[in-house]
Amino acid sequence: MSTAVTSEPVLTAQHLSLAFGGLKAVADFSLTLRAGALAGLIGPNGAGKTTIFNLLTGVYQPDQGEIFLGKQRLNGLKPSARAKAGMARTFQNIRLFGELSVLDNVRTACGVRAKSGLVGALLRTPGWRAEERAITERSMDLLQTLGIAGRAHEQAKSLPYGDQRRLEIARALATEPKVLLLDEPVAGMNTQEKHAMRSMIQQIRVDFEVAVLLIEHDMGLVMEICDHITVLDHGTTIAAGVAADIQNDPAVIEAYLGAPDDAASEGADGVA
Amino acid sequence: MKTLAERTAAQRPNVALTALLSLAPLAVGVIAAFLLQAVLAPAVGPFYAKLVLDVGIAILLSVSLNIVNGFAGQFSLGHGGFMLVGGYTAAYLTYYGSIALWGTAEIHGGFMEGGDIFFMVACVVGGIVAALAGLLVGLPSLRLRGDYLAIVTLGFGEIMRVVIQRTGDVLPVAEAKQKGMLGSLTNVGGSLGFTDVPQYVSPTPWLEKTGHAGIFFTYIFVAICVVVAFRLKASSNGRALLAVRENEVAAEAMGVVTARAKVTAFVMAAFFAGIAGGLFGHQSTLSPSELGFQKSIDIVIMVVLGGMGSISGAVLAAIVLTLLPEALRNFSQYRMIIYALSLIAIMIARPQGLFGTKEIWETTWWRRLFGRRTKAEAP
Repeated sequence: MSTAVTSEPVLTAQHLSLAFGGLKAVADFSLTLRAGALAGLIGPNGAGKTTIFNLLTGVYQPDQGEIFLGKQRLNGLKPSARAKAGMARTFQNIRLFGELSVLDNVRTACGVRAKSGLVGALLRTPGWRAEERAITERSMDLLQTLGIAGRAHEQAKSLPYGDQRRLEIARALATEPKVLLLDEPVAGMNTQEKHAMRSMIQQIRVDFEVAVLLIEHDMGLVMEICDHITVLDHGTTIAAGVAADIQNDPAVIEAYLGAPDDAASEGADGVA
Repeated sequence: MKTLAERTAAQRPNVALTALLSLAPLAVGVIAAFLLQAVLAPAVGPFYAKLVLDVGIAILLSVSLNIVNGFAGQFSLGHGGFMLVGGYTAAYLTYYGSIALWGTAEIHGGFMEGGDIFFMVACVVGGIVAALAGLLVGLPSLRLRGDYLAIVTLGFGEIMRVVIQRTGDVLPVAEAKQKGMLGSLTNVGGSLGFTDVPQYVSPTPWLEKTGHAGIFFTYIFVAICVVVAFRLKASSNGRALLAVRENEVAAEAMGVVTARAKVTAFVMAAFFAGIAGGLFGHQSTLSPSELGFQKSIDIVIMVVLGGMGSISGAVLAAIVLTLLPEALRNFSQYRMIIYALSLIAIMIARPQGLFGTKEIWETTWWRRLFGRRTKAEAP
């Protein structure tokens, strides 16, 4: 799976820490994503995976540590500025613009790259019209890629669950990201849908030349497609490496299934 | 996949055609405004002409408030306050300005001559001052949500009203000449109201008396406001506002600068409310008690009834809610009870407003009645 990986780091997180009062949500988290990488972030519930996404995208500011996108330091920037810099995400608990059409959900996100301003929109200048047409064209292409173009004019909230997840990805890609953070993209999907989503993620990574960081509970998926996996427990990184190493790491087995003397034999199967 | 910049560069818009398309709606609006003034107003007489005028001002107010409450989802109760700021600014300019320029506070010149143009400029300046107030009120909206924001905007309106009530009497012409414009800055009538504002907005048909073309002026601003609202809604900037309403966290994550979006909404809405205030004030007297809390509530009702975010809904609600009390005049003392009951009935039947967040032509019943089937819908 190392085909598209080059040596240039796009996302660097160094020693990130965040505490909510006495609770250490994330402690000393470091990660380097290279261009075209597909990395996984796993761990039991409450391990701090989504909190790390929120730190990377600027919903939270870290107590310590630094985040770089390419050469740009992201600390202190708001989520919108980070989206502009090239960081896009989906949400675990889907957050679409429910009343808007599927197409408008994607067009809204395209707006982050739009150059013509409010005055151009109100006067409908030729430049604005050209850009608006380009936005619609690109949005339709994105919906096509994700396989939901047929539903472009439906309300986003009326989409079936799987399509809502696809729309979240289309919307994130519309911002023309360098790094795409996917928060449980196959949660609640059946085997067939999971299979389709897996090929989609692999295709997106190549077509959009984007580094992908994936949170997922589906171990099969993570082990199969990720070049690099980081395992978290209670905010701490307990293991990092390629799939084969992670599967046999005693700390990981313990985090998921308890100490070896409790249920060691079942543990190995469960994680694999 | 090709980036937006590459795709934009590949577009070759026809400049002449787009210029025509851009100007056409405004031209239609100006012609419609002229017809309302020149044909409808003389035909229906002064009483109904006054209603046409009131409807125009109501549309201006509800469509503009819809930008904040409907598009951006920020609950503002301060529209009466913005109207008051714009109205007093415009009235101050035309009253004391006319005295400085022409030595009299009467209306000056004929149709679209000196006085009328001066009045239009005064209204726009009133709008700009109101927009600055909108900027001030928009800033707390960055930290406040829902009810809390409503209280702040309400407070703003009340403060403006009280400030105006503390001002001095309007100076008569001779004294105003002596003191000059700056000297009479605080003489806008206090709680008695700004009396003797030059009557540029009057329902009297302009053919009968020069300079009285209030309906024409009002509907020009209505046309601009409606076109601006539609163009905003169908642009990246407008979609950013809708995104803030729908899900602020997701909007911010998709690169929408939510702070700027909210303040923009407040500024635009306040601008048109200020202009509406200017039009309202030049009917003769501007009184602070008329532009208080009750006025703000009236406008909110229009937006809620029309459907949050629906421009055509806001227009229709403004028309219905302005005409309904007049239509019920025959029932004299039961009038306001029927008005209130019908409002309650509509809100029970359609809690999302008449059209929800859709425009009238996007609703299912409209499509069933008049719609062309699109390819996707065809069996």
